Amino acid sequence: MLKRWKIRILLFLAVLGPGFITANVDNDPNGIFTYSQAGAQYGYALLWTIIPITIALIVVQEMCARMGVVTGKGLSDLIREEFGLRVTVIVMFLLVLVNFGNVIGEFAGVASSLGLFHVSKYISVPIVSVLVWLLAVRGDYKNVEKIFLAASVFYIAYIIAGVLSQPSWHEAMVATVKLPPRSVWQDNNYLFLVMSVIGTTIAPWMQFYLQSSVVEKGVRVKDYAASRLDVIVGSIFTDVVAWFIIVACAATLWVHGLGSIQDASDAALAMKPLAGRYAFLLFAFGLFNASFFAASVLPLSTAYVVCEGLGVESGVDKRFKEAPFFYWLYTILIAGGAVVVLIPNFPLIKWAIESQALNGILLPLVIVLMLLLINRKDLMGTHTNSHWFNAIAWLTAIVVSILSVMLMVQQFRS
Amino acid sequence: MRDLQAITATLTTMLGTPVTDAQGRLRGRVKDLAVGTGADAGKIAGLVLKTRKGSELVPATGLRPTPSGTLELREEAEMQTLRGGEDYIFLRQDLLDRQIIDVHGRKVVRVNDVDLQWFKQNGLEDLRVREVEVGLRGAVRRLLQGALPAAALDAMTKKIPARVIPWEFVDMIEVDPARRVKLKIEHERLAQLHPSDIADILEDLAPAEREAILTTLDEEVAAEALEEVEPKLQKSMVESLASEVAAGIVEEMDPSAAADLLAELPESRSEAILEEMNPEERQEVEELLVFREDSAAGRMTTEYVAVPKTAEVADAVRALRDFDGDIETITEIYLVDEKGVLHGVVPLARLVLAKPETRLDVLTEARFISCPADAHEQQVAELFDKYNLRALPVLNEAGKLVGVVEADHVIAFLREGR
Repeated sequence: MLKRWKIRILLFLAVLGPGFITANVDNDPNGIFTYSQAGAQYGYALLWTIIPITIALIVVQEMCARMGVVTGKGLSDLIREEFGLRVTVIVMFLLVLVNFGNVIGEFAGVASSLGLFHVSKYISVPIVSVLVWLLAVRGDYKNVEKIFLAASVFYIAYIIAGVLSQPSWHEAMVATVKLPPRSVWQDNNYLFLVMSVIGTTIAPWMQFYLQSSVVEKGVRVKDYAASRLDVIVGSIFTDVVAWFIIVACAATLWVHGLGSIQDASDAALAMKPLAGRYAFLLFAFGLFNASFFAASVLPLSTAYVVCEGLGVESGVDKRFKEAPFFYWLYTILIAGGAVVVLIPNFPLIKWAIESQALNGILLPLVIVLMLLLINRKDLMGTHTNSHWFNAIAWLTAIVVSILSVMLMVQQFRS
Repeated sequence: MRDLQAITATLTTMLGTPVTDAQGRLRGRVKDLAVGTGADAGKIAGLVLKTRKGSELVPATGLRPTPSGTLELREEAEMQTLRGGEDYIFLRQDLLDRQIIDVHGRKVVRVNDVDLQWFKQNGLEDLRVREVEVGLRGAVRRLLQGALPAAALDAMTKKIPARVIPWEFVDMIEVDPARRVKLKIEHERLAQLHPSDIADILEDLAPAEREAILTTLDEEVAAEALEEVEPKLQKSMVESLASEVAAGIVEEMDPSAAADLLAELPESRSEAILEEMNPEERQEVEELLVFREDSAAGRMTTEYVAVPKTAEVADAVRALRDFDGDIETITEIYLVDEKGVLHGVVPLARLVLAKPETRLDVLTEARFISCPADAHEQQVAELFDKYNLRALPVLNEAGKLVGVVEADHVIAFLREGR
């Protein structure tokens, strides 16, 4: 009996791969900040977003994994081949901008999480950026994937912190399945947070990264069921973590009326007197893990995707001279992100909001391109989308578009 | 009129160009360019025009480039209506933005634009494909096409260094088997590359494209290339092929490489492939399959040259001539008695320097190094390192020669284990 369980657990772990990693990188410092903010400002009132977001995330990610397995090509490859150079360049340009904004967020996360342990950002950020650069250039994919999987497991830290914060379980559960009262919808700030939560959970880079990883892994159509499970498990796990972050902050910061926070490490700091030292440590450690993890994935995946789409030489197995564009882009993303964080008084929050808005423009575009691709019989054969998938994906694209327009209007007004 | 030699065009600038008749009436616009196949391979068959009647093909000689940049239809030009299914390669549809193999540069690249050239033949202007652009120049031109005036764009892109592949080095990949046969895409020039280069190219492609190339290549070339592909990918490539196609390729592989590959496949699949193989090759591979993969026997090949211990140099040379494996891999010749027991080893270099009538046993090394079939691969590597070996004979319990581990096998498994 014990042996059978062992086998089951091993089988389950063997399935974990690109889908699980992608979904977890998604809980980067920007995400953690957004979830913490949601919990700190509105308590349990944003928990209802988690279930619909999870469904949308699963649908969008599953489409990518399926396209990767069936066509054997990355998303940027497909966009280039089917929509031509102009569309590709526009998408790549936006992607680089959005991702650069995210990379800055990751390094800011490194700075503030290590700042909790009294490490100056002028020491931590340069060291981490060099480490990140080396990890991809010197390590090979197999090892890197193992490291990433291990890093994903550390997100459990947030679940434990959530439990330690002693939330009102009943209230949290009810809020997860019940829409909040109508009054909150008049609150612009609430709308903005809803938009942020969606934007940070379903990010455009994930689609490119996941599809390339699935292709890289060489998953075949008949093994696809395992990859789908990987995507589903990953998406659910990620959103469970997000749920616990919101709950932890609701049970501490919101309950004690501390209100809004300035950056992700504030949540950890505020938790210390309220939920104890362990909750603080777990929150701080989780933040560092998430920052480092995302900082390792994002610049590399951006460089890969852009080179693939433009048809430029890419790959860490090539030397600098063979793939100069790839290495320059990769290096500039990391160095640029690190330098921005080190500039004194840099308006990080303003940046974060602006990159969120760009995110809202790019995401619907990517989803629509994906929908056009995945419903083509000549590319996908019998693996085109079902009506339900199409409906959910279109709905996601439309909702994100509307929300991002609303967000931009708000920005202009204020 | 300008000197025709100087009139070059590109596919992107050509697309959408209005075509008028001699009276200046608009007849259609350029939609694509058709390139012939078979005997006319590589030559432009004509321009595809989008007209009121649908798609029509007009030979380039039926058109005249005018100074204003438009094209004028000659009176005598013949228009052929396209119905789809013709044996043409269409540059925009089949080549632009697609991956091609640069046979000269030995890599996979993506097409940004196609350079064309007008030339004069028998008093008529004709068009030919010069090269394919894969660099920044082609990309910039396509991005800004229509956004800038043609002359300004031309001046600007001229400043960007071009990265081009001459048309004769372009190898197209067609995934659809029926169309591949019709267009006669045979990858002849690709087949002449070194197997390792072909393997690198295969690794850069999507599964369907790999399969398209593997099944088009000659089985022997495909086998040599497949041997060089990394094991994980090798496995998935063979699994995607039909059993009889896979068997044809596996047959041509070195038996040890074939055995390693089949050992990685699921049993039902490797059996299906073995079933389709020639009895002779099948037996060789099956013998190797029994051994543990990490033992000397699992790493050895059964293709070696052995002669009776009484043989002379001339006999050895004859045996080498009759050898039907990969001759470059042979570095030494083995002397065996009637039971197959190993008695001596003669390096090729000594053979070359000796007279044809010299007896081989005079030329043997005083002591030769060998290893038992069940030796671990680590031991094998140590022997190679310690004695500076090129090849190592593998013996069974009775001292009978059963196979040879070569230096490249050792390098392969050492790198694999890293």
